[in-house]
Amino acid sequence: MANKDLRRQIVDMVVSGRSGHIPSAFSIVDIVTVLYRDILKVDPANPEWNERDFFILSKGHGCLGLYVNLHRHGFVSDDDIANFCKKGGILGEHPDFTKVPGVEASTGSLGHGLSYAVGIALGMRIQRRENRIFVLVGDGESHEGTVWEAAHVARNYQLSKLCVIVDWNESGMQLLPHDDLPAKWQAFGWSTLVVDGHDEVALKMALDSVVFADENVPTVILARTVKGKGVPLLEGHGMWHHRIPNEQEYAQIMEALA
Amino acid sequence: MSAVSVRRQFADTMLAVGQRDTSLAVLVGDISHGILQPYAEACPGRYYNVGILEPTIMSMAAGMARVGLYPVVHTIAPFLIERSFEQIKLDFCYHGLHGNIVTVGSAFDYSMLGCTHHCYGDFALLKTLPNVQITYPATPMEFDILFRQSYANHAVTYYRLPEHQHGVEFSESDIGVGKAVKVTDGSDITLIATGPQLRTALQAKDNLATMGWDAEILYVHTIRPLDEDAVRASVAKTRHAIVLEEHMRSGGLGDEVLRAVRGVPEFRLEYLAIPDTFVTGYGSYDDHCEACGLTPQNLVDTVRREFGVRK
Repeated sequence: MANKDLRRQIVDMVVSGRSGHIPSAFSIVDIVTVLYRDILKVDPANPEWNERDFFILSKGHGCLGLYVNLHRHGFVSDDDIANFCKKGGILGEHPDFTKVPGVEASTGSLGHGLSYAVGIALGMRIQRRENRIFVLVGDGESHEGTVWEAAHVARNYQLSKLCVIVDWNESGMQLLPHDDLPAKWQAFGWSTLVVDGHDEVALKMALDSVVFADENVPTVILARTVKGKGVPLLEGHGMWHHRIPNEQEYAQIMEALA
Repeated sequence: MSAVSVRRQFADTMLAVGQRDTSLAVLVGDISHGILQPYAEACPGRYYNVGILEPTIMSMAAGMARVGLYPVVHTIAPFLIERSFEQIKLDFCYHGLHGNIVTVGSAFDYSMLGCTHHCYGDFALLKTLPNVQITYPATPMEFDILFRQSYANHAVTYYRLPEHQHGVEFSESDIGVGKAVKVTDGSDITLIATGPQLRTALQAKDNLATMGWDAEILYVHTIRPLDEDAVRASVAKTRHAIVLEEHMRSGGLGDEVLRAVRGVPEFRLEYLAIPDTFVTGYGSYDDHCEACGLTPQNLVDTVRREFGVRK
């Protein structure tokens, strides 16, 4: 399995900070890793670079998967990581645009990121800029009506510089099981791909295949993921959603990530 | 009273400002589409009648502000302020972004449409958010000036456009963001009015005079930032004040005035406002004003009851 090191770092941050959503971060960390390593045009030395790609983590509670990648690529420091959820730190349990270099939106209240990104994409079109905008939403988050409002607008305005990735770990289906996500996105007129969200090669191929040409329809990549992926103790939907491992559990988790 | 509605002025101002400033972009929720066509034609690519999805329009506008545009969002007050409140709070205010929110249909302007189309808690809601300016321009000129002064600043500015005007023609130099207008000088009581209720204050002035109350009338088109100096100075002089507003009693201009006059000794303050309950009736705008006590007669009666007759 890829990214064991990042997963270990995530667990250490949660233990140190005494807070955090480990399974949600494990669900997206492979996606975010591929984005930052292979896809996004960003500059850690100049996070506001005018020609950068935008990445918005709309499901903000997965932010540990983002933080470890921002750290790996030099947006945030060792001290920032060490001060996760601590007084004076800039990294909290949801990403904060006003504090964290490289974070494009303060998210956490679900259902905001995609609508905000649609505005960025439309603004870019008005300004005749070519920046791409990537948004990662959760399938549970997709209960929110604003996700579909935004999808509706983006398709009708043909905002082809916009790419949505859905962290499809079936959280949403715990409550509302009749949920055919591919059919829904197709019905909204989006170019729809389904990929294994923990297969870096497949993720990169899917992202590389997205056509960002003008007047094309936007693309959604439905990434099949497992909440807590990589550690059997954490996988699935249950008490680990927001829990700090004790000493024994920590050892068990680290053994699985060795 | 101007023959031009404040809403029409909104469209005219968009045209004028939009032609000069290519960063202005207008998003509407399927209202005012016809009157905005001159703007849409003059400013291609910067006008969007997005649809009936106000929270998303609000977030979109914030995203546009994020990349440096000056967005204007426009539709009916309850849907833009109450339904989209979290989008204003997080996507605009927490991000520290600038923007412009222009509504019609505040208070009970849609007088026959019932509770779903009323909005009389908007000041109270928006006052909980940092970096929000709240304006209530009740003549076309006021809107034009306040918009030009605010649209490109660092705040989120709310423009509550009333259906009805107060009928006073100010000079342009009288109008400025955060500046109250002294409409009449007086010595015994301060009538502090916002929106169309300035008319109520003016209509009551002569009757108040017969009771011995020489009324000073302050007109407030900017609720936040409130011209606290003007309010405090007047109340310190008259020691009696009545606030008139088409907003719930809780959280409106009255509360701001009370805060402004802290420290003034021995003053009396009363309110003519919408009661803290739902407005359930139908009828005309005037019918609703009557039902809520927003009338010259009730103003006079309130002064007599609460403050007495001075001669």
